[in-house]
Amino acid sequence: MSLQEFAAGIQSTSLSTALKSVSWIVPTLQSVHILMIGVVFVSILMISLRVLGRVRADEPLVRVWNRFAPFLWSGVAVMAVTGVVLTIAEPVREFMTLSFRLKMLLLVICIGSAAAFGRSVRGAARVAGVATGVEPPLPAGVRLAAVATLVLWIAIIFLGRAIAYDTPVWGDWSPTVSLGGAAT
Amino acid sequence: MNAPPSFIHDIEASAIGEWMRGNLLAMPVVNAVHVLCVTLVFGTILVVDLRLLGLLDRGRAVTQIAHEMLRVTWAAFAVAALTGALFFSANATTYWFNPAFRFKMLAILLAGVNMAVFQLITFRGVAAWDRNAPTPRAARLAATLSILIWISVLVLGRVIGFTKSVEVTVPENVDFDFSGGP
Repeated sequence: MSLQEFAAGIQSTSLSTALKSVSWIVPTLQSVHILMIGVVFVSILMISLRVLGRVRADEPLVRVWNRFAPFLWSGVAVMAVTGVVLTIAEPVREFMTLSFRLKMLLLVICIGSAAAFGRSVRGAARVAGVATGVEPPLPAGVRLAAVATLVLWIAIIFLGRAIAYDTPVWGDWSPTVSLGGAAT
Repeated sequence: MNAPPSFIHDIEASAIGEWMRGNLLAMPVVNAVHVLCVTLVFGTILVVDLRLLGLLDRGRAVTQIAHEMLRVTWAAFAVAALTGALFFSANATTYWFNPAFRFKMLAILLAGVNMAVFQLITFRGVAAWDRNAPTPRAARLAATLSILIWISVLVLGRVIGFTKSVEVTVPENVDFDFSGGP
């Protein structure tokens, strides 16, 4: 089964049809999804800027992580739920775009790296002993990783928006071209 | 329906409007930058509002948080306004009559008034509650209003996309032909 058939299969389910038949469902889910971008991206921004020493330099990194991580993970969870429902409502619009596929790839990388980073920060803080106020030194390359993280999350946001413009953005690389150019 | 004022026509007929409509990549790029900046505005203001509500960062001075966050907020707001103006120029006459667009502009105005009132009146006494003290009721009210208004701005912005009929999505009746190859 091709991805196109898979998407068309979801689109023909009664759940997908039901979601699409109520006009306010998709805009509402998209709105919640976009609000959560603000929560998640600013959490990532604050943690990254703290690593770069640009904000909250007077607070230990682990405290900044603990302040923003709950927002990061709750936001990601809400975006996952709204994203899945949106994809069920419009599977062809999502799966048959290069933007969506790249976005999913980058999401796996970014969520994985955020989880690994959080574990490492908390682990290092435990070892160093936050109670003593000793800030564990940051490993080499972590500043570069912070910048890369910001670039990748911005790319995810851009790709999310580009789903609606897959053909103008990607031209012949867009799988929507194989749908007869009906979709953009 | 009345005709929009002539300056709205002029904006739409301008070289910038022309460029926005004619350039294939202009709309998606401007759109993505707009979304990025709007979410930055919302997210950074939320950090300040949650501090004003006394829910988070209580050990951190209100003035310090406001200083850190609002730099990003203003920069993002400026770019959001610029990209928003580019959008407007592409389809000014359509936007002019779009209720969601009008309510969104009204909501941004309300957010500005709320912020101005807070800044000019409530914030004057910040020294008394900057750190390790409960924030006054007026500050908590301003923060609550701010969160609600900015959520409205984002939702209304998304509604414009559905009521202005410029974005093209896959039609539901798209014909799938699996019999032959591409």
